[in-house]
Amino acid sequence: MKLNLTVHPRFRIGILPMILLALMGIAFVIAMIRYTFGIGPITDLSNSYPWGFWISFDLFTGVAISSGGFLMAGTVYILRIKEFQPLLRPSVLTAFLGYIMVAVALLVDLGHPERIWYMMIHMNGTSVLLEIGICVMSYLTVLAIEFAPVVFEGIKWQKFAHLIHKFIMPFVILGVVLSTLHQSSLGSLLLIQPTKLHPLWWTPFLPIMFFTSAITIGLGMIILESSLSSRYFQRGLEVHLLEKLAKVIPIVLAVYAFLKFGELAWAGELGYLFTSGVMSILFWAEILIGVVTPFILFSIKKVRQSANGLLTGAIILLLGMILNRFNVSWFAVKHPDPLFYLPSFMSNVHYFPTLPEVLVSVGIFSAGIMAFGLAAKYLPVFENEEHSHETAVTPTPAIGD
Amino acid sequence: MIEIKHKAYLFDATRCIDCRACMVACSVENSIPMDKTRIWVAGVGVKGEFPNLDRATMVYHCMHCEHPDCMSACPVGAYHKRDDGPVIYNPDVCIGCRYCMNACPFGVPHFDYDKGIIAGAFIDKCTFCPQRVDNGLEPACVATCPTDALEYGEREDMIKAAHARIAAHPERYIDHVYGEFENGGTSYLILSHVPFSELGLPAIPEKPVNEVSEKVMEMTIPFAIGWGAVLTAITAGIALYDKKKDTQKPAELDEKVEAPK
Repeated sequence: MKLNLTVHPRFRIGILPMILLALMGIAFVIAMIRYTFGIGPITDLSNSYPWGFWISFDLFTGVAISSGGFLMAGTVYILRIKEFQPLLRPSVLTAFLGYIMVAVALLVDLGHPERIWYMMIHMNGTSVLLEIGICVMSYLTVLAIEFAPVVFEGIKWQKFAHLIHKFIMPFVILGVVLSTLHQSSLGSLLLIQPTKLHPLWWTPFLPIMFFTSAITIGLGMIILESSLSSRYFQRGLEVHLLEKLAKVIPIVLAVYAFLKFGELAWAGELGYLFTSGVMSILFWAEILIGVVTPFILFSIKKVRQSANGLLTGAIILLLGMILNRFNVSWFAVKHPDPLFYLPSFMSNVHYFPTLPEVLVSVGIFSAGIMAFGLAAKYLPVFENEEHSHETAVTPTPAIGD
Repeated sequence: MIEIKHKAYLFDATRCIDCRACMVACSVENSIPMDKTRIWVAGVGVKGEFPNLDRATMVYHCMHCEHPDCMSACPVGAYHKRDDGPVIYNPDVCIGCRYCMNACPFGVPHFDYDKGIIAGAFIDKCTFCPQRVDNGLEPACVATCPTDALEYGEREDMIKAAHARIAAHPERYIDHVYGEFENGGTSYLILSHVPFSELGLPAIPEKPVNEVSEKVMEMTIPFAIGWGAVLTAITAGIALYDKKKDTQKPAELDEKVEAPK
């Protein structure tokens, strides 16, 4: 069976692009207001809550959901499991756009966005944030190189595409190292808050927890992004490949759960599981949604082999894991109660994101979706379909080795 | 613990009369606008039943930690700890990430939320008045305090004085000098007659808060190099193995999916 590649993606002047453009416009206006009048007028951030929704969603969630790129690059280039080739380009594109979104969001959140490059000349070696900044900047460059062949093929500069492909290996290895570093460092970012972060989450092993969960998030994102784009662009879905990825998820989740509960037992903090009120509920919610449910779902062969099952499982997994990122960076962080010593004009004990704050993130996210759509339409992102086996559209058991 | 030879404040909550002259003195000395301040005086209100009434006030500013967490956290090194005690913030390199505010266990640094990109939004906090200290004067808040609730001197002497005061009036004080060991020691020492938590001071362990994160950061570069080497070895190994397999069984080639050229 030959795939019908003449099908035009439904991406003309549809209703979705219009909505996305409108959301981007709103975010742009809000960002301009923020640059003119400061962060205070448009957000609920205060001296008691210096970091809020932008950090939890754009930085913590944004980086985590971009981890598919290094997973696929590592699988295809380093482990040389070539059958995953069809998933490589969409994953690298997702990661590339994801990191650009993180960078753009940080430029809104930073007090001095024009000084972001100071990180490269004034380095403070003890700062986890420096490591993340440097890693994200370098990894963006690596992703640009990894994605460049697609652009060159798109504009028919085959020679350049070939050239980059020839020297891709060092960049792939660098990319995996950088990703390992900053995916785990996002956890290290909270290490300096042992007195502020709830003990259910604060542990010296936060970096390892973050890296382990980032792997499941990356796999979940690949499944989600393949499923959605196959629906939207009416192209084939590589169920047999996604099935293999889904098979890995329960294993990683088991390791993750073992680490989480093992650490709590080791630190003698198991009691907090039931005695911390809202914190206990948040912890169990994150475990049940992000670990237990996807573990069960992806352990069932029938679920893994159906397009709907894969999509449902991935969405549940991602919701739970994103809740984890929000818990660690926001819900479970308690800043010292400033009622005593801060005058009310300088503090705000209760933080809740304002509408403009959320709209900025929504706008940046819309831009990401828009860019993905445009790239998928004009660049050979899904180009491998014609030689990725005839099995691409029909779910069949594993092939090859 | 090693004695650190440098200056420190000593605040005695039993002596504070809540006059807030220190706040005014600080604002005047450092030209702080009226709606901002680097020093806060907070009262916990009147407690107890008549006639046994009690009240306490607390003067709160930067603790000038011996192992400053703001300094450890700042990605661009905008903070530094001077040898004679003060933790100084340098706005010229600050990128406004506000990680120092997250890192500080006392919630001291504060940020200009009402300033745009042209006005310049910076962090602000107590500077220990280096412009006065360097000229042999006491910090403005100390110099102005009418009841000697705030004092200033060698850290060693201040700790000794604090313990002497507790020993002389054990019924008046809680037997603890807050800041002697908290967060690895601070240059702002506090004596109180009510529990420190009632003054709004957090319970901080004696180990510096940044200890774990700094240890993890030390491992980063060795880990990166090691992990890079391991990955290179794996890559080379698998590539070699594949090559060998391909030459041995050329028939298998057809089954493999070729990389896009």
